[in-house]
Parts: sequence; C-alpha cells; structure tokens
Amino acid sequence: MDFSFTKKEEKFRTELRTWLEANLPEGWLEGKRDLPEDLDEYSRVLRAWQNKLYEGGWAAIAWPKEYGGRNATLMEEIIYHQEMVRVKAPPLINYIGIHMVGPTLIDIGTDEQKEKYLKKILTGEEIWCQGYSEPGAGSDLTGLKTRAVKDGDRWLINGQKVWTSFGHVADKCFLLTRTSTHPEKKHRGITVFMMDMHQPGVETVPIVQMDGHKDFNEVYMTDAVATDADIVGQVDAGWHVLIALMLHERTGIGAELFTLEKQFNDTVELAQQYKVNGKPVIENPVVRQKLANFYARVRGSLLNYYKNLTTTIKNGQPGAETSIDKLVVTELNQALSAFAVEIQGHQGVLFDKDAVADPKWQHVFLASFGQTIGGGTSEVQRNTIGERVLGLPKDMGR
Amino acid sequence: MDFSLTEEQEMFRGHIRKMLDTFGGTQLAREMIDNNPENLKKVYTTLAELGCSGINIPEEYDGMDLDALDLVPTFEEMGRSLVPGLFMETSALVVPTLKKYATEEQKQQYLPAIASGEKLVSFAALEPFNDFSPAGIQCALVQQDGQYVLNGTKTLVPEAELADAFLLLVRTNQEDQEDGLSLVLIDKTEGMNIEKLSSFDESKHVAKIEFNHLIIKEDQIIGEVDKGWMQLQEGLLYFNAALSSYIVGAMESVVHMATEYAKIREQFGQAIGRFQAIKHSIVNMKVHLEIARSLSHYANWVVDTDEFDREAAVYSARTYATEKFIEVSAHNIQIHGGIGFTEEIDCHLFVKRARYYDQYVGSTPFYQEKVVASLGW
Repeated sequence: MDFSFTKKEEKFRTELRTWLEANLPEGWLEGKRDLPEDLDEYSRVLRAWQNKLYEGGWAAIAWPKEYGGRNATLMEEIIYHQEMVRVKAPPLINYIGIHMVGPTLIDIGTDEQKEKYLKKILTGEEIWCQGYSEPGAGSDLTGLKTRAVKDGDRWLINGQKVWTSFGHVADKCFLLTRTSTHPEKKHRGITVFMMDMHQPGVETVPIVQMDGHKDFNEVYMTDAVATDADIVGQVDAGWHVLIALMLHERTGIGAELFTLEKQFNDTVELAQQYKVNGKPVIENPVVRQKLANFYARVRGSLLNYYKNLTTTIKNGQPGAETSIDKLVVTELNQALSAFAVEIQGHQGVLFDKDAVADPKWQHVFLASFGQTIGGGTSEVQRNTIGERVLGLPKDMGR
Repeated sequence: MDFSLTEEQEMFRGHIRKMLDTFGGTQLAREMIDNNPENLKKVYTTLAELGCSGINIPEEYDGMDLDALDLVPTFEEMGRSLVPGLFMETSALVVPTLKKYATEEQKQQYLPAIASGEKLVSFAALEPFNDFSPAGIQCALVQQDGQYVLNGTKTLVPEAELADAFLLLVRTNQEDQEDGLSLVLIDKTEGMNIEKLSSFDESKHVAKIEFNHLIIKEDQIIGEVDKGWMQLQEGLLYFNAALSSYIVGAMESVVHMATEYAKIREQFGQAIGRFQAIKHSIVNMKVHLEIARSLSHYANWVVDTDEFDREAAVYSARTYATEKFIEVSAHNIQIHGGIGFTEEIDCHLFVKRARYYDQYVGSTPFYQEKVVASLGW
C-alpha cells in the first residue's frame, strides 16, 4: 500500500500548477469566476480558454504525443483532475471532443478523419456534442428512432435528439442513428455519424432545466446531410463504436470525486461559519453526527476509487466495478448538497441573489438531480453491478 | 500509488481461509452456541502455529514485528466465518497497549506468551447501566494499607471462560471526571466471580465479573495511574481498525450468501435475482461492502503512520462498518425469505453479531463525535 506520488508525478503536478497560475483568466484564482450570461460571449470565453490549454500542451494530456497529447499515465490524469478541481478551472467546453470523440477517432477513425478533426478538437475550433438520447430512447438507447437513409452518395438524417449537452454551441455532433432494423437484436443496425451542426436541416432548442440553467438541448434533424466519410467505424456497427468510446472514459469519475471532496470541505466550512441564534451550526450534535457520516462516505468513495484505479493500472483497463464509483459519487453528491441546504435552516430555501451562503448550495442541490440520471441512471448502474460484478441473471427483455 | 494488499498478504489469506474451512466455517460459531469451544481452541493453536498471534509483536518478544495491515487478511477471514473468541481483543487491543505503555517486565511476561498462543486476554471495561466513557467506569481500585484493592462489577466481558488474563479499565481517582482511570492487566484468579450472561448473539459469549476485595499489585497496572482512559485510546484505534476488517469479512460472507441464493431460488418461473427489487437490494449491499473494505484497508494502513487523519480514518471505518453490517445482514434475511427466518440458515448469526458489535465498546454516535473532534471541527 502506497499513497505517495513519484518524483516524476510531483514534477508533473508542479508544472501544471505553475502553468495554471500564470494562465488562468485574470482574477480567477482570487474568486472572479463568473462566466458571461450571453451565449456567444460564453462560448467565446471558453473557446479561448480551451485554445490556451492547447497552446500550453494541456488540452488532451491522455492523447498520444503524435496527435498533440502527452501520453499521460493514469496517475497523471488523476493529478490533472485534482489540480483543475483545486483552482475551480473554467469548464472544458470541448469535453466531449477531448474525452470521447478524439480518443475514439485515434482508436478506430480513418487517417482522413484523424487529419480532419483531431487538431480542431484540441484547439477548440470545433466544439462537439453527443447525439445519444431521444424522447423514446433514454436508458434503453437501442430504442433510438433517428433514421439515416442513403440517398445517392449522401445520407439523409431525420429524427430528434434530446439532452444534447453543448448542443447550442457545438459545431459537430457525434450522432447515433438507425440505419437498419433488427427487432430481435436491437443493438444491430446503429450507425455513428459525425454530423455538421451548421446546416439548414439541423435545429437546436434549449431545454430549461429545473435549476434554471440551459445546459442541454433538443436537436431536430429534418433531411440533415452527412456522407460516407462522416461514418465512424462501419455502417450498422455503431454499438461497437460506443463500447470503444466508453473504454476511453478512464478518469472522468475521478474528476467528479475530487469535486465531491471539495464540496464536502466546503460543507464543513459552511457548518463552521453559518450561525443560527448566534451559534455556529457545527456545535449542534445532530449536525456533527451527520458530518461524521458524510466524512466516512466521502472518504470511503474516494478510497474505493483509488482501489479500482489500482486494479485498472494493473489490468490495463477499467473493470465493471467502476460502475460502483459512478453510482456512489452521484448519489452522495445529492445527499451532501441536500444537507448543505438543510443546515441553513429556514433561510436554506433562499435562492440566487438572496441565498445566504456561498457557494450557492441551492444550485448544487438542484443540479444534483441530473447526475443520477445522466450518463446512465442509478438504476442502470445497479443493473450493471448486479449482472457484471455479482453475476446475477439479466433482466427480462435484455 | 498502490491501494491494494500485497501478494504475500493475499496468499496468507488463502492459508487462513483453507484452515477455517476445514473446521466448517460458521460451524465454529454454532459450536459455541452449544458451549463447545474445543474446535475453537484448535483454531487458536493453528493460528499461533501459522504465526498470526505474533504478527504485530516485536521480534525480541518472539513475534514477527509486522504491521496492522498484515493482520487484515486474518481478521477478514475470521469475520467471514464469524469466528468468536478473543483473538481480536488480544492482538489488536492488548498487544498495541502493552507495546506502547507496558514496562519491560510486563512486556516480557505477556508478549512472548501471546505470540506463542499460550495467553488469550479479554477486555473488562463495560459496567451495568453505564456507558463507555470515563463517567461510566466506576469499578474502583483503591489504595489501602500499601496495596491496591479492586471492588465492583464488569459486564459484557467477552469469552471470559476462555481468557487466561484480563485487561481491566478501573477508576483510581474519584475527583477527575475526564480521566482518573487506570489500566490493569491480571491473570485469571480464583477471586474473580465470573457469571456467564445470556446474550441474543449466543455464539459470542459474554460474562459478568464481580470483584470483591481483589488485591492488585502495583506491577499489574499498565502505564501511568489515572491516565488509563487516555492510554486506552491508542489500543482502541488498533482494535477498531481490526474490528472494521472483521466486519468486512463478515459482510463479504453475507453478500456472497445473498447473491448465490438469488441465483438459484426460483419464483414466478425464474431466479429471483433477475427481479430488480432483489438485484438492486443486493447491489446496495455490495456497494456498502466495498466502501467499508476501502475504509478499513486505509484505516489499517494509516494507524501505523502519523498522518493527520489517523483517528478520523479509523473511527469512520468503524462506524461505517458497524452501521452497514446491520443493514446488510438484515437485507440478507429479507432476500432469503422464509428460510432466512429459520435457525437452520446462517443469516441470523450475522444479524446478531452485527448488533453485538455496533453496541460494543462505544456506540455509533460516540465514534462519530470522535471523528469530528479529531479533525478539529
């Protein structure tokens, strides 16, 4: 058992930390972290940040060197996430491009596709979104109905996507479509296209979430056009592409766990500073018990992540047990933010400009409900753990 | 970064598991229900032969001088089979306490005998209608005519009938409310009135001991007089780290039982493990197990370091393990349905042991407060 970092890893951390301190937007470290409300302005600022990361060599550290990455080890990725969480770095506007599309193209894309897209993913010139969910295809992604039909030397795409993150700022979409129907084997007949978002057949409509934000969109496709050159992998074999893509998502949960850890520390600080009847709420024995309980759960999930990471490092790729990390971090985040709102007493319901504590726990609490749904619901995670870790029989119909 | 047990530690686990399986696993606990500790004694002899009883004892006292982490596979395997007895009290409470506070003579007297398996030590701290705190310890050790005299009652003393010696926590100062306690280590003598109590965890024997003018020699006091509570905390850290490992082993057993049963039990024409109501319940058990395991492995590593979170890590491992052990073992009965409510199936053994340990030397709120306080909050 060894929790230390190697000299090389420490050097990596220092290098990144130094770079961040010199390159984060003016005033960021001191707390000036508000991003523009206006969509164009928001997109411009975050693209500029992405480009800065690229120029510093920090945009896609896990990619191979030949494609502009650093060939980072898993531990370096972990350190990267820790440092980004530490400075509350601006969101990575091309998250999907960097962490999902890019690695998948590097793995199974054609030389032309690599040439055409990879550099622009790194620089932030082309922002990517992911066209997965549909009104009738949520947890059961195989129920998707968006159709791509060959029409001469092009494909015509018709259908609707929903919960498309970054859809409103995206230039390209990693789109799942149905190209043939196999009622018995619904995983077959799915094809992945890289679709241009800037064309007459594509319309995006923002979704107003329960927390007031508009992070997601509906995307309507009416005779949208793509070509053979835009297909990832083979026609009708998109499910293999999806699986390859998921294997590249190596350390995303780590970033969420480090954020959770930070939120727990913020909660402790809130309990120490927030006063009711002139007394800090941390003096309340019930609050203390709950804090101890959260401490155990947060530390436990972080340590469990390190345990699974050790296995991943030894085996070369993550196993099914990493589903436990996703399940735990999202449910814990929900419970923790609810607690942070609860200890504020009756003022806990005050919102936005009238909220009495910082960070705005009310927003964190409301946003947390998206986390147990997006990226595979808690129920889907439990099925995966039950079937792939414990070996229980599969559900009916699957 | 490597958060895993070593190959040697895992190999050692294999030996212990094989040995305990030859005794029928939980059969050892069932034999204790029938007041038959013969196989349990054989287990101890074998554990001593394997070197388990000397793992954390320095070489000069015939031990192996290894760390708490090296005991983890042993404790997990004992928990897996719910092995009762005093191995945990002896190795994880008494040994660390002696290493830190005992005189050279006291160490010579006890450590080699513990390493060889000759001596098992029980822990007599709890008292009727009192809690586990300085105020709850009233059993009085008083100086009279140049000697110490002990009077009072201890309860819930584990496996007193198998113990060769007892670590006692007694009051030596009536004025000091924060401490005023002392640790005493005595061999079993005639002057102790031991009465077995009936407990709903029948496989874990507990007794009441009455001390009536028992003479204690000064060299039987461990460490400083009146500082017993403070000194006990060091041993409690090791004990609770070990306890969390034992419980992880027991939870592993429970999750395995539930999973395997859900694969073979059929209702409505299919294995019940196919139903999400059952599947997700077992998954929740598995998640609790893995989190508890991660906390306990870390606790057993950190306890031998001087990291800032040493205490918080151990006590959070204990509270998480004891709380979730109750939950997991209760769900196991529900998943087994009617058969789970019978005496024949092992389910009930685990629920009873879970409840026993949750309330043993400190409650969940007691340790939760320790977590928060140790972090300076």
